[in-house]
Amino acid sequence: MVVIAIALILIGLFFLVVAAVGMVRLPDVFTRSHAVSLTDSLGAFCVLVGLSLYQGFGINMLKILVVLALLFLLNPVIAHATIRAAYRAGVKPQAEEDQ
Amino acid sequence: MKSSFPKQFIANTLALFSVWLILSGRYDVSHVVLGFLVSCGVAWLNTGYSHSPFHDFPWGRLVLYGPWLLLRIVESSLHVTKLILNPALPIEPKLLTYRSHLKHQGAIVLLGNSITLTPGTITVEVEGNQLMVHAIDKASGEDLTSGRMEQKIAGMFQEGKGHE
Repeated sequence: MVVIAIALILIGLFFLVVAAVGMVRLPDVFTRSHAVSLTDSLGAFCVLVGLSLYQGFGINMLKILVVLALLFLLNPVIAHATIRAAYRAGVKPQAEEDQ
Repeated sequence: MKSSFPKQFIANTLALFSVWLILSGRYDVSHVVLGFLVSCGVAWLNTGYSHSPFHDFPWGRLVLYGPWLLLRIVESSLHVTKLILNPALPIEPKLLTYRSHLKHQGAIVLLGNSITLTPGTITVEVEGNQLMVHAIDKASGEDLTSGRMEQKIAGMFQEGKGHE
């Protein structure tokens, strides 16, 4: 159990590092937000599941799962709000429009 | 839309109370009773006024949709990871306009949320059933325009069979 937990936490950390690298390398707000969504979807997911396994079954595991559920609900909302604000403020994406 | 007040009130109270139970972690009488009273009060104040897109939302089927979405997220996360770590940075950002056939408000909310949750695509703007989506490269965009995710959600709401 502990081994699986540590492996999951390490995998999560790897994705967090990749997301940070993406933040630096990608050119504009829109593409950077894709890197950020990587953080929450796999990075935080793996770390939190790893932590909950490390804690073992019990009230703390439930708490971590609630945090996870909230993260999956709120992360898209925040990403969408940021991107929509950027779009409405007139930030032009480096992209061609397409139907 | 016309789901009755008492039913909604009880559902809201139970949802709030279970979050209280999980987060407080103390089960003596005073904490539980206080939590129950507060959940009742908050549910009472918040039931029936706002027009929620989640009326008759198929919560049960969400259990089946969750793992499928998780798989899609893992798949596209690996794809985006490869893009970022590739020295050539082969991205092709694109703005797509996607017209959805979903009618239920909750279904469109779920679709937009799922699109944003999946790395590589993000919902920029929603107007009615028209979504503007930013995709990081061709593969991510094509994954969306193939309509796989929409079909899954339509199946969940049992739309496209002529009713509603």
